[in-house]
Amino acid sequence: LITRFRTRAFLICFIPFALLLASSFWMIQRFVQSTVRDGLHTSLRESQVAIASIHSKGDLQNSRFLRVAGENSALKAGMQLLLANPGNETARRTVEDQLRELGEHMGFDFMLVSAPDGSPVAGVVRHAAAQTEKHGQLIPLDLSLVDRNRAGFLLLGGRTFQVASVPVDENDENIGLLSVGEYFDFSDLTTHVALVRNGRVIDSNIPDVPFNELERELDSCNGPSECDLLLKGTRWISLPMEHYGGGFVLLSFENVDEATAPTQSKLHKLFLALSFVCVLVAFVCSVGSSGSIVKPIAAVVSHLRNAVRTGKLSELEVQHSSILEIQELAEIYNCAAVSVRAAGENLEAAYLEFVGSLANALDARDRYTAGHSSRVSQLSCATASAMGLGLEEVERIRIGALLHDIGKIGIADNVLQKSGRLTDQEFAIVKQHPVIGRRILEAVQGFAPFLSAVELHHENWDGTGYPRGQVGEETPIDARIIHVSDAYDAMTTDRSYRRGMTHEKAISILTENAGTQFDPRIVHAFVALPIEILTKQSQTPSTRDEVEQPAVTVAI
Amino acid sequence: MRFRELLVVCVTAVLAVCSGAQDITGTIVIKKKMSKPSVTAAVSVYQRGPVVKLGKDSEEDPLAYERSRVVLYIEGPGPAANEIASPTAEVQQIDRRFMPQLVVVPVGSTVSFPNMDPIFHNIYSLSKPKSFDLGSYDKGETRRVTFPKPGIVNIYCHLHPNMSATIVVTPNRWYARPDRSGQYRIQNVPPGQYTLVAWHQSAGFFRKTIRVEAGNDSVADFFIPLELEPKQEAQATQFPGPASGLR
Repeated sequence: LITRFRTRAFLICFIPFALLLASSFWMIQRFVQSTVRDGLHTSLRESQVAIASIHSKGDLQNSRFLRVAGENSALKAGMQLLLANPGNETARRTVEDQLRELGEHMGFDFMLVSAPDGSPVAGVVRHAAAQTEKHGQLIPLDLSLVDRNRAGFLLLGGRTFQVASVPVDENDENIGLLSVGEYFDFSDLTTHVALVRNGRVIDSNIPDVPFNELERELDSCNGPSECDLLLKGTRWISLPMEHYGGGFVLLSFENVDEATAPTQSKLHKLFLALSFVCVLVAFVCSVGSSGSIVKPIAAVVSHLRNAVRTGKLSELEVQHSSILEIQELAEIYNCAAVSVRAAGENLEAAYLEFVGSLANALDARDRYTAGHSSRVSQLSCATASAMGLGLEEVERIRIGALLHDIGKIGIADNVLQKSGRLTDQEFAIVKQHPVIGRRILEAVQGFAPFLSAVELHHENWDGTGYPRGQVGEETPIDARIIHVSDAYDAMTTDRSYRRGMTHEKAISILTENAGTQFDPRIVHAFVALPIEILTKQSQTPSTRDEVEQPAVTVAI
Repeated sequence: MRFRELLVVCVTAVLAVCSGAQDITGTIVIKKKMSKPSVTAAVSVYQRGPVVKLGKDSEEDPLAYERSRVVLYIEGPGPAANEIASPTAEVQQIDRRFMPQLVVVPVGSTVSFPNMDPIFHNIYSLSKPKSFDLGSYDKGETRRVTFPKPGIVNIYCHLHPNMSATIVVTPNRWYARPDRSGQYRIQNVPPGQYTLVAWHQSAGFFRKTIRVEAGNDSVADFFIPLELEPKQEAQATQFPGPASGLR
């Protein structure tokens, strides 16, 4: 996977930052949540203890009430009457009437008298329609509804009564059992509770939660300690508050989500804002730091890119970077650049030496043309510069001009060093030297730019030249310039068979042949060259008296 | 008004002269109420379940109610019930109350107790002149008690502790109860000196010696002082008056 260094630096900065922030916020939130939960548990437990103590007080009071009720002589008389007349309607009614009166006085919602064998014989219950009213009427109870094994609670037609019983004795003989009950009502409870019997929910005041769902959730927690439930997507804590007889348990419930909601939402907002700010800061920091990390490298990269484009290994400005590694890199690069440049210069020097040695080799073969190559080279350079050509081209022309007659190496000495006129056959051999030169240089890769100069420096403007007979600008400018310089130097140089012409004569011949033999534009530039350059070139040559064929002849 | 009273006095005087006996007359004056009459709802009402408010019977004048709880009689021997046409009184048990709650009968009378309620009632007494327990019985049934000794008999129901009534058994047939205005008249008392007793259900006994002369009605007014705490329990046991006075 290839990424930009900047992206990488950003990710390396930002991701740990963000992860650290997220995890720390998450942990803080968890901590706060657990704190809130603990608080809730504590409050639940406290309320449980409080309710239990109130309840035990109530139990005591109830038991006193009950003892008084059990010692009621009228009721005893009624119960004895009922025992003496089993199944007697009026007797039952009499006791019911007594129970009603007793119940109204003592505020019970349910009263029942049972025979010593436990079978219910008479009872009253508060009128169902009036159960919520304080002064509802007690009415006779349908005894068939009464569960014989009542303990703690009694379920009557969908209503729940909390029941307590006291035996009624007369003269140390048990004459029955008096049970009193109060309607078990959650409506005045502020907390959520549920009455459960052996895992079955009998009543609850938790809104919108069906009993079977509650039972299913309660299934998983049958311990004496608190238990976590999930009801309708909200979390609750349940705690057994009171164990009654007969498997009845009163569970209290507390909505955790509701209790923690205000704190939670506050925390959420706080955390959200904080985390947003932090992430933003982290982002900005990451962007900034990644930028500042990358910036020196980017500077190096852009410098290198520039170096690639220009082909020049210029040195980096080390003092601009404040980063040690970048400085080191720059220093190493600079060293490398210096050594590469040195190597390049060495190579070039070696190459030039090689060129020079080739030229020298040629000069060694033909004493008459000694210095010819270097003079042509200088003239060509001057002409090219005067024509406004680029440095590279000028350099190319310079070397090309140095090498232009290299092909003469391949010409037999008797032809090349012949003093006197050449025969047509010999001349044809001489005319092969551009092609031979090309063939020699072709083998060396570095000489490729100069091949055209070597091969084509005898092509004429009008197409009468050799070896190809190219016309006008078909011939590269290197060859055309060298052609003019070569002709001038040949004309002004003394040869074994003639003296060199004067500068003026040579110029006039060049001018005459401009447009036919030579490119007129180059001739124009050539003749406009400062006289010092031309004459210096022409005077420098040795005073050898060998005279080569005139330029015109050479041109042919 | 004066004229009418005079006329009444004259007429009674004439009647007394004719029969050879005179009346004892007077006024019972009570200025403060001493007890609350209680009202109970019908038993049958509860079997269905409508709401019944219990409270005082506000229509009754409280002082007239107090006066209705007074009995006047003469101590000492005299014509008893069986010597005349023996009158039979009735005390009903209705709506968890004895009705009436005060009955006066001469000694030797029989009182019947019919149960009018659809529930059992029981009648018993622990009073000295006559202690009895009729047991519990159903609606429509009537049980009877004869009172051979004079005295004050309080009767109760085992099943309903709030039920109570008083039967005053007088030693002779010279007894009366004041009317609503407090006027009373004991008719045809032969001349002589007597102890006239006024008994109030809460306040107890008030005695006066009275002399009855032939041809003249005697007048005895009673001012029954109010006691803040009625001696309800004391009455049953503290009853030396008529019994001892009889012998």
